[in-house]
This record gives sequence, structure tokens and C-alpha cells, in this order.
Amino acid sequence: MGAVTDDSHSTVFPGARWMVLSSHRPTSLKPGGKPPSSQQVSNEVIRKRLLIDGDGAGDDRRINLLVKSFIKWCNSGSQEEGYSQYQRMLSTLSQCEFSMGKTLLVYDMNLREMENYEKIYKEIECSIAGAHEKIAECKKQILQAKRIRKNRQEYDALAKVIQHHPDRHETLKELEALGKELEHLSHIKESVEDKLELRRKQFHVLLSTIHELQQTLENDEKLSEVEEAQEASMETDPKP
Amino acid sequence: MERAVPLAVPLGQTEVFQALQRLHMTIFSQSVSPCGKFLAAGNNYGQIAIFSLSAALSSEAKEESKKPVVTFQAHDGPVYSMVSTDRHLLSAGDGEVKAWLWAEMLKKGCKELWRRQPPYRTSLEVPEINALLLVPKENSLILAGGDCQLHTMDLETGTFTRVLRGHTDYIHCLALRERSPEVLSGGEDGAVRLWDLRTAKEVQTIEVYKHEECSRPHNGRWIGCLATDSDWMVCGGGPALTLWHLRSSTPTTIFPIRAPQKHVTFYQDLILSAGQGRCVNQWQLSGELKAQVPGSSPGLLSLSLNQQPAAPECKVLTAAGNSCRVDVFTNLGYRAFSLSF
Repeated sequence: MGAVTDDSHSTVFPGARWMVLSSHRPTSLKPGGKPPSSQQVSNEVIRKRLLIDGDGAGDDRRINLLVKSFIKWCNSGSQEEGYSQYQRMLSTLSQCEFSMGKTLLVYDMNLREMENYEKIYKEIECSIAGAHEKIAECKKQILQAKRIRKNRQEYDALAKVIQHHPDRHETLKELEALGKELEHLSHIKESVEDKLELRRKQFHVLLSTIHELQQTLENDEKLSEVEEAQEASMETDPKP
Repeated sequence: MERAVPLAVPLGQTEVFQALQRLHMTIFSQSVSPCGKFLAAGNNYGQIAIFSLSAALSSEAKEESKKPVVTFQAHDGPVYSMVSTDRHLLSAGDGEVKAWLWAEMLKKGCKELWRRQPPYRTSLEVPEINALLLVPKENSLILAGGDCQLHTMDLETGTFTRVLRGHTDYIHCLALRERSPEVLSGGEDGAVRLWDLRTAKEVQTIEVYKHEECSRPHNGRWIGCLATDSDWMVCGGGPALTLWHLRSSTPTTIFPIRAPQKHVTFYQDLILSAGQGRCVNQWQLSGELKAQVPGSSPGLLSLSLNQQPAAPECKVLTAAGNSCRVDVFTNLGYRAFSLSF
């Protein structure tokens, strides 16, 4: 059904710049007779209208009241009443316009919110991917750090063992001192040995000289004994 | 009013037997598949069970995901050691090494690919194999165990290439020193011997029990576990768990734990060890105990770190020992759940 204009009052009011789309069907449906599709359609319509304004205390009621008051105004008698009714109708109209404007703004807002959410969703996806990469990076770093820690601990373990052994410098110094002492002592030993050799030789010479002298003296004694024996036998022999 | 009589289901012989078996089970060895999604565990009955780590770790894991995908009888005796190459699982225990294809094992009734026995001196008594070690550079496998020798087997041809003699008592554990291809072996005679693979000679011997700082005569002199990081070595067992600097053969740090440790490994900047107690111990190289996380078995015999690059979501530490359960630690701080035979 199209625009509602009353041919009896052929004035078009400036407030009426929108069409009342009344696809309102009578609520009482004749049983049987009607094809099912129209019933479904009417169910759909009812559902949609309930969705839009289910509580019945809002815009739909206002529009119905407006239509009724318009019809009443068309049929009214006096000028003042008509005028007051006209004013009331205008106010109702403006209220309806206001609520429509509000709904349009809300619709706009919802669209923009959707866009905003889409944007946030994409951002979050990006940051999740970034976080994954960072996690992989950090895992690599952990492995690296573990390797470093292992190396450090190996170093510590070896260092502990090495500490038990004395310092190289000191050992070298001790070795040098010991070497010098050894040399010194060996020199002394050599000189003592030389002296010993010398003494031994001297003693040898001395002893051999004594021995020779002894031999010579013994020989002399033997010779003198033999001579005395010969003299004694010569004295006893001429007696008989 | 009727009293509801509870249904009494008598336990059959098989259930009792299975329950007893699970009670007395010890899991000696573990190995991770090359794809990183499966874990094989070998126990003292000679069975190997394959668990699906990816199923057990996924968000909709149920109780069945913590049970093995497949269990089969692999050896006649206990499975003391297992390693994985990029296609095979090698398991050893009662004197033989057997190879299984990872791709085939998940189907029921798989057969071993091959089995080999190293040349033992006496044919009367077959000594057990305690440790397996893969040497990827020369594609060979080193076996060591009850006959006090290290045997090297070439994986391509299956022949035994060299025999390293030197230990005077059976060998417990092996470790590979990457940079110079040397093998470390630790055994019951208390010595850790380093062998050069190219010359097949013993390069260095460290007699741990002779060092006063770490020897514990009341525990014995056996070396139960070895791990090496090229310049450093950790060994434990009878003597205290000690960190050694290999080039100078000096013990640098002694870890203050009384229980003998049965498995030790280096991980990032930590040393993880497990042994007679219930817990997995985490040590820093300086000797401090960083954490002690209790597991579910009364004693632990093996630790396995799943660091396969193909499955980073299955990067877990698993620990198994004197029970039928394998504990899974998703982050080293706590035990997430346990897989069970």
C-alpha cells in the first residue's frame, strides 16, 4: 500500500514527507482457505515486527496512534480542535523522526564498531605471529645460553683440578735452585774424589817404598846370618 | 527388598599368569624409531613391545593409547640392549643380534630380518650381549658383553671385522667418542678402556676404583653406565658418579648420590642419570643437583631421549626399569604419564 493521502482534504502537509509503509495485515486470519505461503509470509512479518519493536510501547504504537489521530483529525469539526490536533500530530511526527534518526546513528555506529573490531582482530593476529617468532628466537637464545653455561662449567671443573697443582713459576724456580744445588754438590764430590785419588796414590808409593825397605833389610839380615853361620862352622872344624 | 548379588567373575589361569608376569617384569632397553613416533621396549622375558608415542601424546589419548601397539617374542632370553638405525631395529640379549624392520614390525607376526652371533671363543656357553653401539661413520655395530671382548660387525656385509680384547671381566656399557672415532667401554673389572677404531688398539685405560675421590669399595668397582661428550666422560656404577676430563684422565666433579647409577646421558647443559632410586636426577656440570623427578618404577635401568628431528612434537624423555611401565616425561620437570606393557 502506498502513500496515505486523504482525498477529502487535498492539502499535503509539510510534515508528511515520508510514506507510511503499512504492510500490516489483519491479525485475524481466516482459517483454512488461505495458501500456506501467505501464512508463512505473515509469520515472517510478525516476527520481524516483533524483533523491531516487540514491546509494543515504542515507535510502532506511535505510528499507529499517528495514523488514527490523522484520520480523526480529517474527520474533526472545529478549527481550534483541528489545529490542536494538528499540532499534536506534528509533535508525534517529530518524535518518530527523532527515534528514526537515533536508530540510523546507532546503525552507523555498529558498522564502524565492526570495522574497528576487524582492525583489532588483524592487529592481534599480527602480534600473535610476532610473538611466535620471538618465542622461536628466544628458544634459540636459550640453547645458546645453555651451551655457554656448559662451557663455563667445564672450564670451572678443569680450573678446580688445576688449582690443586702448584704454580708453574714456583715449581720452575724450585727446579732451578735444586739444579744449582745439584751442580754445586757434584763439584764438591768431584774435588773430594780427586783428593782421595791423590792420597791413595801417595799412600801407595809410601807403602811400596816401606815394603821394599823391609825386603832389603830382611835380605841384609839373612846375608849376615849366613856369614855368621859360616864363620862358626870354620872355627869348630880345625879342632880334631 | 532384593539384595543385589555382585557378579563374581573368577580369574582365569591366563589372567593370573599375565598379572604375575607384569608384576615381575623388568624393562632393560628402549629405542626410538627413526620417524620418532614409536618407542620399542625390551623386557626380561624376551618380548619387545612397540608403543605409539604420537598417539599417547595427542590430545585425545585414551587408556588404550598407553598400551603397546604390538608385542612379540623376540628372543629366548632377556633383551638387554636395542639400537635403531634409519630403517632397522637391532636387538640383542642372549648372545645373538637380531634385526627387525621398523616398517614391518607394526604388523602382527613379523619375522626378524637376520640374526647373527659374534665368534665366541668357547662354543659351550653363549655369553650374553649387554651393550650395542652404532658407529655411523663406518656403518658398523659394536657388541660387547659377557665374553669380555668388543666385537665389530659391519652392517652391510654382516661379517665380524675386529675383536678388541683387554677387559678382564664382562662389559656393561659402551659409548662413542665422536671426534676421534674411539669407543669407550666400561665393565665389571672397574676399568674404562678407550679403543681406537682405526688401529684396533687400546689407547687409554682409566681405572676408576683406584682414584680415592670416587671409589666406593662397599659398592664394588663395576662400571654400570658411561656417557661421553668428546672431551668429557661421565661414568658411574659401583664407584660414585663422576665427571672425567679424558685428555688428562682426571676426575673433576663427583656427583653426591649414594645409589649406584645404571644409565647416564648428556643433554644440553645437563647430565641426566637414573639408577637404583625411583628418580631421574638432573645434574649440572658443576656437581649441583638441579632436579630429581620421581618415576613410577622402584628402580630405573634405561633412559631414552627422543630427539628425532622428524617428530618434534614427540620430543620426550622416557624412563624404564624394574617394572612393566615406561614413564614419559614431556618436560623434564615432571612425569606426564606412563606407558605400560
